[in-house]
Amino acid sequence: MGRDTYLKKVLGEDRYQKVQGSTVLMVGAGGIGCELLKNLMLSGYGTIHIVDLDTITLSNLNRQFLFRKGDIDQSKSITIKKAVESFNFHGTKLISHHGNIMDTDQFPIDWWDQFSYIFNALDNLEARRYVNKMALFLKKPVMESGTTGFDGYVQPIFPYKTECFDCQPKATPQTFPVCTIRSTPSKPIHCITWAKEFLFQQLFDESVEGDAEDLSNATDNDKELENLLKESNELVELRKLVVATGEVISQNTFFSEMVRKIFQIDIERLLLIDTLWTNRLKPIPISDAQIEEVADLIRSGGIEQRLESLIDTQVWSPLENLLVLYKSATNLQTRMKNNKFIAFDKDDEDTLDFVVTAANLRSLIFQIDTLSKFDVKQIAGNIIPAIATTNAIISGFSNLESLNFLAQNSRTDSSMVFISIRPNKYVTSATLEAPRKQCASCSVARGILKSEEGTLDQVTLEQFIDKVKSKYSYSSDISIILGKSKLIYDFDFDDNLSKSLSEIGFKTGELVLIQDEDDEVENLELYIEVGLKSNDIELPELELRQKILIEKENGHENGVGKDAEEESGDVIESDMAFETIVIEDEVEEEVPAPKKRRIN
Amino acid sequence: MSLCKTRLQEERKLWRKDHPFGFFAKPIKAEDGSLDLTTWTAGIPGKQNTLWEGATYPITITFPEEYPSKPPKVKFPAEFYHPNVYPSGTICLSILNEEQDWRPAITLKQIVLGIQELLTSPNPDSPAQEPAWRAFLKEKDVYEKKIKEQAKRYISTT
Ligand SMILES: [Zn+2]
Repeated sequence: MGRDTYLKKVLGEDRYQKVQGSTVLMVGAGGIGCELLKNLMLSGYGTIHIVDLDTITLSNLNRQFLFRKGDIDQSKSITIKKAVESFNFHGTKLISHHGNIMDTDQFPIDWWDQFSYIFNALDNLEARRYVNKMALFLKKPVMESGTTGFDGYVQPIFPYKTECFDCQPKATPQTFPVCTIRSTPSKPIHCITWAKEFLFQQLFDESVEGDAEDLSNATDNDKELENLLKESNELVELRKLVVATGEVISQNTFFSEMVRKIFQIDIERLLLIDTLWTNRLKPIPISDAQIEEVADLIRSGGIEQRLESLIDTQVWSPLENLLVLYKSATNLQTRMKNNKFIAFDKDDEDTLDFVVTAANLRSLIFQIDTLSKFDVKQIAGNIIPAIATTNAIISGFSNLESLNFLAQNSRTDSSMVFISIRPNKYVTSATLEAPRKQCASCSVARGILKSEEGTLDQVTLEQFIDKVKSKYSYSSDISIILGKSKLIYDFDFDDNLSKSLSEIGFKTGELVLIQDEDDEVENLELYIEVGLKSNDIELPELELRQKILIEKENGHENGVGKDAEEESGDVIESDMAFETIVIEDEVEEEVPAPKKRRIN
Repeated sequence: MSLCKTRLQEERKLWRKDHPFGFFAKPIKAEDGSLDLTTWTAGIPGKQNTLWEGATYPITITFPEEYPSKPPKVKFPAEFYHPNVYPSGTICLSILNEEQDWRPAITLKQIVLGIQELLTSPNPDSPAQEPAWRAFLKEKDVYEKKIKEQAKRYISTT
């Protein structure tokens, strides 16, 4: 019996051939990628390209099972290929690319064009958005996936037919206003942010000066330090104490000065602003008695013992927090003698202890719950727990759901799948919806602008605008945005008309967004591809839809449900794709937690 | 993200079609001759018949990549004298605060009008700087004198 006998039975002869003949891309060779590559190979894919920019670290090894200790510091994409060769039963051709998927030189658009399916096994939003965009440009199906702890999902994306990655808004890391962090914290996260991004930074780290892009509070507070607290300038003084030549005595001085200033004087000053506290609990400064108790313990030399008995997963008492703060602050102070500054790092015990205890003490003052060191570490270090089993399950679904598309008629009736640890909801699924008309990615027509290097030097912006207007029959004026946010032309801004396109910044991989002044037709986004033999600028053949019509269309169309009905005779496949595998209770009216959706 | 830039161009269009009298707002010009839609400068005229009249106060508005999910950051020049303006110039205003009243539908026009309103009606519950806040609550005459001095520095040119 051949190695592929069962595979042929499972997939069906046709699909087996199709899978064998496919060239697919897997982006990411980490937690999901290790599991997924194994699945894809055992499914018999003909060619798999693997892209990852990372190297292997020790902390990967507990779940990224294709890597071993000896692989540390090696490229993930290259190592993973070697690791799977021993079970490459179906002769899959594996091609590794060590690099950033967003690099347009290494991965130009014609490289993307060779794939019949794209599997995301990524860990960050930016790359996911980028792959999503490339897939929209080339109309390639994508299997998007992700896990957090026990939760995970797969989302099959069929560009312009089903929701894309951007259709549902994604939670972005929260930022907090300066006022909340500096004066009126109400949650543990506020105190942790204060300790990590303000206090620690001010005392030990390099000061970050006004980076407009970075809206972190630290930047702001930095300048405020000199001004807001003009009366005493204590933090600056404290920092001077940190780097003061270190006799033992200055260590104690530094610690007690710091505690007095931060947890007593500053709080008392805040209390003077009585309007702040009309609707809030008043903060309670640390008492002199508490500070003296610590001082006594330090003098008696009994603190090492106390510290040894502390457990990371338990919440510490105020005194214990003060002792750990003392220990970490003096350690950091000693280290500052050799370093110009020290940056916060969750794996650097001194910096972590300092942030944990400073945050907890501030929480105590503001009558907010305190947390264990373990919990603060998760928050301060932005740690998302990764669980091997979750990755394995999700990779399985990723592989399985993609096989619908590889059926004879390239079916697009795959499902989204969600997994979680909640009873009755271990595995749930949802039908794919049509693209949301408000989605900024789906509501844009896309195409590739082809040109030659020399042509971009010759064609002026004005000529380009005329060409675009006549090609797509714009009735009103247009605006043009290049890249992320560079406006190069609109009704009110014609400074650049006589410049050449290359002068303005047209180059391979750059995006051009065109909008019409009257807001009547859909937006158009062009991907610039330089290098083709062409004497002119080649604009893609596209019909821009009227915005009003798009709304009507979406009203009538029922997403991909229609396709599913037409093909309902195909029972075996839909079984395989889902029903027999779902471990789900009868209760089905509830929606899965991540999003509101129709459930199968 | 694409939503950010389409929305910013939309704001620019809206502003051109309809903006309150005496205000200006425009993206800054980058070195390469393009306009950077993520950073705008704007002018807020002080309301008539108030301490703030006769002057146009400059602000810079910085839009993050997650705009309009997240609010823009708005700054006066450093050391701007107002109870709700931090020494760095950052404005403490609830509609610019993600945790409070920011909504993605808030337009540039609403933001600048909100700031104009804040000039004459400070919020004593969100002090952002000591001198102006204390003077506003306890030494009205000092406060008024300082505001008038400041107005002279930003005298309207038209
Ligand atoms: Zn979309």
